[in-house]
Amino acid sequence: MIRFNNVNKWYGREHHVLKNINLKVNAGEVVVVCGPSGSGKSTLIRTINQLEPIEQGEIWVDEVQVNNPRTNINRLREEVGFVFQHFNLYPHLSVLDNITLAPIKVKKLAPEAARERALELLVRVGLEHKRDAYPSNLSGGQQQRVAIARGLAMQPKVMLFDEPTSALDPEMIGEVLQVMQDLAKSGMTMMVVTHEMGFAREVADRVIFLDHGEILEDTQPEWFFTRPQHERSRQFLRQVLAPMHG
Amino acid sequence: MNYNWDWSVFFKSTGIGSEIYLDWFITGLGWTVALSLSSWVIALLLGTVLGVMRTLPGRFAARFATVYVELFRNVPLLVQLFVWYFLVPDWLPEKLELWFKQDLHPATSAFISVTVCLGLFTAARVCEQVRTGIQALPRGQAMAAYALGLRLPQVYRKVLLPQAFRIIIPPLTSEFLNVFKNSSVASLIGLMELLAQTKQTAEFTANLFEAFTLATVIYFVLNMALMLIMRGVEKRVRVPGLIALGGK
Repeated sequence: MIRFNNVNKWYGREHHVLKNINLKVNAGEVVVVCGPSGSGKSTLIRTINQLEPIEQGEIWVDEVQVNNPRTNINRLREEVGFVFQHFNLYPHLSVLDNITLAPIKVKKLAPEAARERALELLVRVGLEHKRDAYPSNLSGGQQQRVAIARGLAMQPKVMLFDEPTSALDPEMIGEVLQVMQDLAKSGMTMMVVTHEMGFAREVADRVIFLDHGEILEDTQPEWFFTRPQHERSRQFLRQVLAPMHG
Repeated sequence: MNYNWDWSVFFKSTGIGSEIYLDWFITGLGWTVALSLSSWVIALLLGTVLGVMRTLPGRFAARFATVYVELFRNVPLLVQLFVWYFLVPDWLPEKLELWFKQDLHPATSAFISVTVCLGLFTAARVCEQVRTGIQALPRGQAMAAYALGLRLPQVYRKVLLPQAFRIIIPPLTSEFLNVFKNSSVASLIGLMELLAQTKQTAEFTANLFEAFTLATVIYFVLNMALMLIMRGVEKRVRVPGLIALGGK
């Protein structure tokens, strides 16, 4: 479904953010990407829908080469859902309009059909009663669930999550993870940048550990948590799994 | 000050038909409003396009808009008006020039010159406000829209501009009022708008104080009314909780 072939990316001349990335995500797989901050995790998933361009290598989504200048990048983005750390809902539109905007404008869906689909999705994320609310009247967890519904409304083949729970109060993380877990069960292909190791352990099919722009581990969660191959990943795990930061 | 105010002057006959001096003010107000509204339409449309251009990734569009703004913002309005009225017609193709100078009613040609001048002048200022409005939005707004596959024009029309305009309503209102006030420059090329009618009344009646007092009151009331209307607009389009709008 997603393939990285020898991908390299630099910020400016000096800063080599992605180093020789080779990666494959199969249809229906849930892949968690973790690593210390500044390791290039967010950049990595942002290259998949070209929110970040790459300088070298190839990225494929199915039969479409993302970084080919002849590729219609908008077409590609219709098929790749993206959920942001800060939700980025449109504050001037109601919850329902947030979800229906792209299907109506981009997919040319009839407004009625778009509405119906949006309502189904709102039921799925447990927010059908909030359809006429504005984003600013929702909690962070609710906003993120709406953002997920907004992504799903385009019926994407893949969903990418960029630290979807990092901006949330602790008591709201669970509701968002639950929605993501349900989504994973329904067979959606997902790539998730997160520090939620519980999610990685229970939901992910594979865990990728990234450090300084390099993939150090790409393995099953069980192996990652019990037998990490690199000192850097062991150190990372000690830090994120430590019950207290002392 | 020893002055005998005589407010009845406005109801005296001008000596032309059954006209009274108040009629001159009403005609003048009509021109002022017509001038200002047509200039404002130009300014708002062109200013929005230019403001958007200044935020586009392409360097050429942004540079063009920047040059436009600097040119129209740094030359006094009155100089611009004289250029539009006295010079530009001479540069037109001959047929157009003759039509503009001879066939058109003098009031019409003056009206066109002022409208174009004031519209383009104000567009530069609207442009800057639209640009700041767009740039004040979090970067994630555009990114989220692009990530959903929206095309660039849709991103601006549906996501960025509706929010930017809500933010800039207050400065835009004062620009709108400026157009009405600036339209008084038209009196210098003989268009009989409010200020010109005032001056003419003062000269004909020698009641200078009354004439200018009335003009002051009319400008003031007109601008107050516009301001209240714009405040109503601001309230109507307010989005609950959108911080950028300020207040509750």
